[in-house]
Formats: sequence, C-alpha cells, structure tokens
Amino acid sequence: MFDPYYRQPMTQPEGSGRRPVEVRGLVKRYGRVNAVDRVDLTVESGDVYGFLGPNGAGKTTTLRMLLGLIHRDDGSIRVFGRDPAADPVTALAGVAGFIEEPRLYPYLSGRANLELLAALDLGGAGRKEIDEILELVELGDRAGDKVGEYSQGMRQRLGLASCLIRRPRLLANGVDPAGIRFLRALLRRLAGEGMTILLSSHLLAEVQEVCNRVAVIDHGRIVHEGALADLETGGSYRLQATDIARAVDALEPLDAVAGLRRELDELTFTLGGDEDTVELTRALADTGVGIRALVREQTTLEDLFFRLTESDADLREAEAAIA
Amino acid sequence: MSSEAYRAGGLAATRTGSLRDSLAAVGGSYYWELRKLVAQKRSWIGLAAAAIVELVFLISIEISKVTPNDGPYADPMGQGLRHSGLALTPVVLKEIAYFGPAIIAALVAGDIVANEDGGGTLKTILVRSVRRGEILAAKALALFTYVIVALVVFAVTGIVAGTIAWGFHPLANISGTRISAALALALTFAAIAVYAVPTIAIASFGLFLSVVTRQSVAAVVGTIFYALALEGLAALPAIKGARPYILVTQLHAWHGPFQTPTNWTIIGHAIWISVLFAAPPLIVAWIVFRRRDVAS
Repeated sequence: MFDPYYRQPMTQPEGSGRRPVEVRGLVKRYGRVNAVDRVDLTVESGDVYGFLGPNGAGKTTTLRMLLGLIHRDDGSIRVFGRDPAADPVTALAGVAGFIEEPRLYPYLSGRANLELLAALDLGGAGRKEIDEILELVELGDRAGDKVGEYSQGMRQRLGLASCLIRRPRLLANGVDPAGIRFLRALLRRLAGEGMTILLSSHLLAEVQEVCNRVAVIDHGRIVHEGALADLETGGSYRLQATDIARAVDALEPLDAVAGLRRELDELTFTLGGDEDTVELTRALADTGVGIRALVREQTTLEDLFFRLTESDADLREAEAAIA
Repeated sequence: MSSEAYRAGGLAATRTGSLRDSLAAVGGSYYWELRKLVAQKRSWIGLAAAAIVELVFLISIEISKVTPNDGPYADPMGQGLRHSGLALTPVVLKEIAYFGPAIIAALVAGDIVANEDGGGTLKTILVRSVRRGEILAAKALALFTYVIVALVVFAVTGIVAGTIAWGFHPLANISGTRISAALALALTFAAIAVYAVPTIAIASFGLFLSVVTRQSVAAVVGTIFYALALEGLAALPAIKGARPYILVTQLHAWHGPFQTPTNWTIIGHAIWISVLFAAPPLIVAWIVFRRRDVAS
C-alpha cells in the first residue's frame, strides 16, 4: 500500500466511469499516405488489450495520437471520455505509457529518472513509493546507477516503473512484451486490480498469453477487433488427401467450408462447427478422395495475424510460386 | 516484492488550471531542468571554458611583454592590469564580448530541447501532468540561469585569479575615475548583470532554433552564426545609424556601471533592445512547441 504521507491530495479524475479508450474514424495522413485510416478501437475497463500489427502498420502512430503527442487529421479519440488533443494533461490524468521503447535520461540514475517523472506528475509518487516500485521491477539494487549503464531489459523495466509511479488506470504500453516477459504475471495481476492495459506489439505469442482482447491493424486499417476467446473457438482444419486437386473440387461447393486454401500438398479451411466434418467426409468420399489426415487446429493469433494482414494478391503470388 | 507496492486505485493528480498550479509545475520542472544540466558534461565544459578564458588571459599577460598601455589594453581599465586584480575581468570581457559568452550560451541553448527530441525523452515527459508551455518555460528559465551562472563563474575566476596575481587594489574606471577595490568588486558584478541581458537574448534565439530545427548541432551552430551575423551587420557602414539598435551592440552596455557617473542610458537602452530581440524567438518557440507533433 502507498503511504499517504508521500502523496499530495489527489482527486478522482472526471470521466472515471467512462471507457478507457474509445477511438472512432481516426485518420492521420503523411502527405498522400494514410498512416492511420479510419481506425475504430474500444478498450473496456479491465481489458488487457493487444494492439497488433506489423512494423509500419500504424500502431505507433495511433498510440502517439492517443497520448496527445501528435495531432490527428480526422476522427475522434476519447480517453476516459476526454479528448487528449484538446487538453492532454487533463485527459491523460489517469494514463501512463510509452511509445515503442521507454526513453529515459541516460546521465541520471534510475531513481533520479523516476523522481523527475514523479515531479512532473505534480503530486506523484514519493521517495518511499518509488523505492517500492523499483523493488517491484527488480531494480532496487541498481537504482543509483546511471541509466546509460543499464541493459535494454533493465531500461524497459524502469520504463514500466515510470508508468506505475503515476498510478494509472490505463497503461498504454508500446514496448514489445518480449522485453518485459518477466512481468507477464505482474501485468495480469495489475489488470486484476483494476488497471486497463493496452499493449502494442508485433510479437503475437507474448500478446496471446496476456491479452483478453485484440485488434489487428495493417496498412493503417483495423482488420480485426474482438475478444481473444472468440478467436480461439474458431474451427480451423488441415486436410491431407490422396488427390488434392479433386479434394478442392469437392470442398469448394460446400457452404460449411470457408477460407479454403491449398498449401503444398494439403488444404486449410475453417468449418462452422465440428458436425460439418460429416458433410465434408461424405463429399470427399463421393468423389473418391481418400483422407490421409484431417486435423483440427486451434486458431492462434499468428494464424489470425497472417490471415488478416496478407493481401489476396500476396496469397495468389505465393500459390503461384508453389505451383 | 509484490504488486501490493502498486495499486491501480484509479487515482491521478488533477489540475485546477490555476496560476498557482502553473507556477508549481514550472517550478518543479525548472528544478529538474537544472538537475539535468548539472548531470551533463556539456554544462561543465561551458563553465570550465568560462573560467579558463580568464586564466589564459592572465597567464598570457604575465608571460608577455605587453604593457598595460599597449593595444587592446590601452584604456583606463587596461592600465589597471598588473596593478589590481580587479582589472582582469573587465578587460577580458571587453576582449571576448562579441563571441565568448555567445558560444557558451549557444552550447546549452541549442541543445536544451533538440537533445531531448533526438533522444526521445521529450515524449517521455510530455505525457506527464505538466503542460508543454510550462516545460518550455522551465527550460528557458534553466537556460537563462545557466547563462548567468557561466558569467558569474567567469567573473569570480577573474577576480580570484587577478587578486592572487596582482592584489586587491583600487583602480581607474572607464572614465578614468579612481574607484576603491570594494566598489570595483561590486561594479564588476553589476557589469556582469548588464552583460547577461543581451547574452540571454542570444540564448533565446538558440532556444528557438532548438525547438524549430530539432537538431542540436544545427541549433548550436545556428546560434553562433546568428551572433556573428549580427556583429557583421553592426559593422556595415551603410547601416551605421541602426547600429545602436542591433543586439550585439548591447554587449558593450556593461561599460555603464564602470562609467562616472553611471551611464544608465546605455544600460536601459540595452535592456529594452535585448527584450525586443528576445521576445519574438521566445514567442515563436512557445507557439511551435505547444503545437508541434512529437514523433521521434
């Protein structure tokens, strides 16, 4: 628990009952390029929300607008009901975060960095609180060393500490989770204690382990947004058959089969439910195709990511190369 | 270690938007801007340069055969060299007035925002609870403080070294009036205070370049070129009439305290001309800094 002695009086920010993040039709243009193109995002209280996309997809630009660092060209952003572009200090009162990797003063010690940022929080953490958080991120022993002497992992932990001293309700963290892998359990625990976390990353495996909801962005557009649980119930199948070409002919007309793709000597597709496998096996049997293997796979974020972000043209090109 | 050290209580500082809040924000930021300057080698190099220039002059005068009536020292205060240590600082100030402090001011002014932009720390501090304008105000105050400290270091080094070498004795001021050592000491600091005003105006231009260019080197070099260009402008015969209204001319207003009677006219003139030169770059820097995208 924080010692009240070390705090100045604080008040609950307005908009406490509102959604942590509500983005509608967000646009950012650089010349003729839409770096962010009509993005909609909704982060609910208590979410550990994964914001995914390849490098250059628009994640960082979106986060920068969210944190009031750059101006938007169109659309709206509400952070706990307030617009960070109109008054960033007020809108971001309950928010902490950093873009990409944390940038701290290399010529100051870790503790001095936190003291500096706490001072800029105006009534932020006191010395005792800072010491506790330094212990929490396992930097207590190195707190007096200059940040320039820290490893990358240590800097990332200090970056997280710089967010925690602000006691945020929303942590918008642009760092790749790989850098803070050791804090995975902590992030879950913080979320359990009421903090909403927005993780921006291109590392799917890490996000998959900590997030309950995800949005996938590519070329500035959101190509998927939803609960992780919904994605994991999807029925993705892999089929190896005696005659792949005839199997394609047999499966293409079936309504139950979606996303049919040929990958070397096997087919991948999704089914609405497990009962559809009966119809599938009958169709293959009717055309004389033997089934070597029919494997149900759980949809991973990686599958989802590549499925959503690879363009049709890329797929056709890949298939042509395989053929 | 446990997460109990941190509790997401949903509490965060809120601001009322009052002047008191803003002053507290600027004050806290100013303190940390000073701490940052203290922690950087560049700041110490500037202060060391301010001190060394006095020592270099002292040594060169001691080992050379130049007499107090020769060349650059041929003025009433120059004649005090070797007779009173208090003559050293005004004489050296006269010699380096146009470029020395401008270089030191440029070194810090050009870097104070651009360095944070390039290093990415600007976006770290801009997402806290201090407004952009307040951060820039704190940086400007820290910069001006540094300029004053550098000039004080310059003066104190000259006074101490000069006194050790030549003693703490009365001397003639610029008007040729003999003044006591104690008065000369006080007037030295008064002269430094007057000299600080146009130097701060040069530093203001450096701050402006630091905000606009986002490049430390460009801002530092640009500030030095700015001072040199103004000096070149002041030397043009075609605009001789405008010379009193050019910023670098005010770098000689420190003569005012050392004249009998004190020349308040050139001091007052230097102050308002310096304010005129400092205000536009500071205002533009403030507008740009508040509105610009920070994407580094």
